[in-house]
Amino acid sequence: MNVENRRYVIIAFIITVGVMYTFRLFYMQVIDDSWSDRAHKISEKRREITPPRAVIYDRNQTKIVANKTYFNLMVIEDKMGEDFDTLGFAKLIGWTTKEIHERFDEIVKGEGIYYNKHNNTRVSNYQKIRPYPFLKELTKEEMARIAPRLDAYPGFFEEETSMRYYPYPNAANILGYLSEVNAQEVKSDMFYKPSYNIGRAGIERYYEKELRGLKGVHYVVRSALNNDVKKYENGIYDTVAKQAPPIQLGIDIDLQAYGERLMQNKKGCIVAIEPKSGEILTMVSAPSFDPNLLVGRKNVSKYYPKLINDENKPLFPRPTQAEYPPGSIFKLVQALVGLQEDVITPNTGFPCNKSLVGCHNHPAPNSISRAVQYSCNPYFYYAVKKVIQQGKEQSNFKDAALGLDLWERYMQSFGFGKKLHSDLTGLRSGIIPNTEFYNKWYGKNRWAFSTIRSIAIGQGEVKMTPLHMANLAVIMANRGWYYDPHFAKKIGNEPLRSFQKNTTMVDTKYFEPVISGMWRVVNEDAGTARRAQIEGIDVCGKTGTVQNPHGEDHSVFIAFAPQDNPQIAIAVIVENAGFGGTWAAPIASLMIEKYLQNTCSSPKKEARVLKANLMEQ
Amino acid sequence: MRKSNSLINNLDWPLFLGFITLIIFGLITIYSVAFNEDHPSLFSFSEKYGKQVMWICIALFLGVMVFLIDSDIYKKFALPIYLITMSLLVIVLFMPPINGARAWLGIGSMGIQPAEFAKISTALLLSKYISALNIKQLNSKNIFLALLILLAPMVLILLQPDAGTFVVFTAFFFVLYREGLTFDPFLLNFVNLIPKVRFKQTWLGTHFIPILFVFVFLSIITLLFGEKNIPIIPGVKLYGSFGIITSLFLLAGISSFFVQRFGLKRARSKAQLIIILCFVLGSGVSLIVEKSFGSLAQHQKDRIELFLGLKEDPNGKDYNRYRAMAAVGSGGLVGKGYKNASVSSVKTNHVPESETDFIFCPFAEEWGFLGSLLLVGLYMFVIIRIFVVAERQRSQFNRIYAYSVGMFFFYHFAVNIGMNIGFAPVIGIPLPFFSYGGSSMLSFSIMVFILLKLDSQRRHVLR
Repeated sequence: MNVENRRYVIIAFIITVGVMYTFRLFYMQVIDDSWSDRAHKISEKRREITPPRAVIYDRNQTKIVANKTYFNLMVIEDKMGEDFDTLGFAKLIGWTTKEIHERFDEIVKGEGIYYNKHNNTRVSNYQKIRPYPFLKELTKEEMARIAPRLDAYPGFFEEETSMRYYPYPNAANILGYLSEVNAQEVKSDMFYKPSYNIGRAGIERYYEKELRGLKGVHYVVRSALNNDVKKYENGIYDTVAKQAPPIQLGIDIDLQAYGERLMQNKKGCIVAIEPKSGEILTMVSAPSFDPNLLVGRKNVSKYYPKLINDENKPLFPRPTQAEYPPGSIFKLVQALVGLQEDVITPNTGFPCNKSLVGCHNHPAPNSISRAVQYSCNPYFYYAVKKVIQQGKEQSNFKDAALGLDLWERYMQSFGFGKKLHSDLTGLRSGIIPNTEFYNKWYGKNRWAFSTIRSIAIGQGEVKMTPLHMANLAVIMANRGWYYDPHFAKKIGNEPLRSFQKNTTMVDTKYFEPVISGMWRVVNEDAGTARRAQIEGIDVCGKTGTVQNPHGEDHSVFIAFAPQDNPQIAIAVIVENAGFGGTWAAPIASLMIEKYLQNTCSSPKKEARVLKANLMEQ
Repeated sequence: MRKSNSLINNLDWPLFLGFITLIIFGLITIYSVAFNEDHPSLFSFSEKYGKQVMWICIALFLGVMVFLIDSDIYKKFALPIYLITMSLLVIVLFMPPINGARAWLGIGSMGIQPAEFAKISTALLLSKYISALNIKQLNSKNIFLALLILLAPMVLILLQPDAGTFVVFTAFFFVLYREGLTFDPFLLNFVNLIPKVRFKQTWLGTHFIPILFVFVFLSIITLLFGEKNIPIIPGVKLYGSFGIITSLFLLAGISSFFVQRFGLKRARSKAQLIIILCFVLGSGVSLIVEKSFGSLAQHQKDRIELFLGLKEDPNGKDYNRYRAMAAVGSGGLVGKGYKNASVSSVKTNHVPESETDFIFCPFAEEWGFLGSLLLVGLYMFVIIRIFVVAERQRSQFNRIYAYSVGMFFFYHFAVNIGMNIGFAPVIGIPLPFFSYGGSSMLSFSIMVFILLKLDSQRRHVLR
């Protein structure tokens, strides 16, 4: 072969390589998108910005849930440098050098280990070039002590975070608390990332979606050292984090605080509702605690075990989850059902026959109103018997079953035996025994009214939550209807419409005689709740004494005031406090007076309540 | 009658302008990559672009010097120049290592790499030696001496160690091939042992060098793509050698079409035969390499993979290659725009050495496929132009020297861009006139200026 022709071999070789490279470049740059995806992954970072949670106001526009700025002291190990002054840093934060090394070990350990299947190696997820929180949740004051001298310690820097702050140490059981999301929640809701907080109880939980706001997303170009270099595409894809509009609750924080003070050293609850709207004014669960105790990891790990192990169960939301037999307050409902069913009239009298059911000494109940006033047990035995045994069936047993079905429907219309619609989670339904219940208990057609008579006086199988009891006071105040009891009044500027008006099966006209009885309970000498009297305010109420097989009876009182234009309906339960008129009634009256007039006309009454320690020793 | 010393009339302008264009492109890219808002001026000497401007000025000054010196000097002093650079290569081995290699000579940041200049001096001496032989066929003794001239700097460079420059020195084998180097004398000894066979030459022996390089090139590509899937057609995934065989098939089909359409009638059937042979040979190599690699022991595989940069090591060589490819691939058709390289700018630093060895990354990222096509085209133009210049020389000295320069250009181009697109292992060699750095700029400039000077005086030489 002619040597001169070799030039063409070389030229062909070079052109071939050039053509191959061109094809390859065309394939990589134009056809195959995977390189582009990889470049995005390498060089861009999607950073989510979580806004502070919405603030919460009470009905008088007082801020009751706010946010406070905290600081994390972050560290990037790679930037610390060789001659890092560990001793000086230890002094600055008040630790020993040993503790600092331990904290680093802890961070590394906490990141876990990545197992590479391909080459059977284990690599720690910890990376020296990444920032990690060295100290978490420092307050402004704590940070101010460290910050000025932080420049001397390269690699350490501060980062702001926002956490809940409760200006009032009250209403913990209403507001609830936040805690870190679990893996399940991260999986099921795109909003959450590990270490995010989520509402765990109360309002924080129920209105989680309304409170958490809109996350902002920032796209940044990052460097190999994970630093932000600039905004991606000048930030045209970025969105701003938006705090959710504030939520206004119907509660009155001053009344709530007062209620919690009155309930100090007692177990039980106070539930007060504005009758015409169904807005809950106060919901005290005693004993209570400062909601600030459950803010932040440090606090939660310190106080949560204490609270959960406290034998008086401060974390147990009594108003919505404790079920008590209603006791004598149940008689109000029985009187109303009797009137509606036309088995009694306002002027019907029954003898106080103590052989049927026990009673205390009082004048003869010759009308509904007197029967309520004296809380006469035999009277309501007769009245309820007339409702249940209406004689529509030949068999006494079948007749009782028929009557109980009707009675159950009445009870349901008062909201008893079912979960009330509200904006709290974990509501309990209470118990209204029905035919099914007794058929299971005694056998079909093997029971009649005499078997189940204790329901007439609110004992035995009947159970209610304090919220149900307060709702009964609302029904009495409204003369036959109630709004779903709830907390939220407004979200932003939008009034809530999701809560409905419910009407009971008893007509308004039947309420007056019963209400006049309730007035007498408080305002007449032979009434059971004379301690609830307030000068100048017509309080209507009804005491209850709940038999407690485990100890002293529970003291119950429900009331509303004023009689003609009710502004507040209230239920007070004091556990192990005996007769309803002794403790529950005065507490209710102090609350009513505080709410209606913001005064206390009887400091003596208040002092007596405040001094009382009814906790089991 | 031309004025013999009129440089302007005799200068090869296309090559000169190609060279200037590359320098300008390179400077523009370095300015984008290393841009510092605090020193936005192109002439801020604290920044890399300012320094590059300085290097370019020095290079142009040296170019003027080269033009002023009579071209005979290179032939006359080829041996002393060679010996001086060799001694520099020895001295550099006693210098403190920078980045693990004893390649730098000088003070502070103003160091030079003697290896870069060894390329020129070796080219000069080799040209002189071979042109003086005055025989067409090289014999064993001549080859031995030529190889000695070649191997001395190669061994010294390997001792630094500098694998990249070492690889570049193998470019001389192509030069020797062009000058008639054949392996027939050895091969025929064996082939003619077969009864009744009396070949005067063999195809394999004559073209041994290009065949060997195609073999190495295909082997490397086969191994690089060994376990990666390459979707040639969307939805169809081909693995390793299959992908390469398919690509070769397409390439063969396209060249076959062009030969049939544009080739000379009498050469057609021969060319088609060569294409088919190349395809079969290439596919065979690819298959054999893949199969034999598969049968290697794990530690041998590991060593090869480590060399090719395929080992899974986030901070190893594959890291650079992977990121460089991501940067190139993300450029798209038209690129992200000037100064918008998000992966390969020095600030983000995802691609290390993005202003030197990986400078193609930011260029391809910012200008996309169209820019890449332009750049590849420009390099192809410059390289082929050098060969055209080489072939028109009357003196063999000039031609050998010109071929050496052309092959250096081609090697640097092929390996440097190859490692940006996954066709070559990561060997740190600069992209001529493009990468930031004094040694490379100066040595390539001097190399090209000597070539231009020799070319401008080509008519002085009598046949």
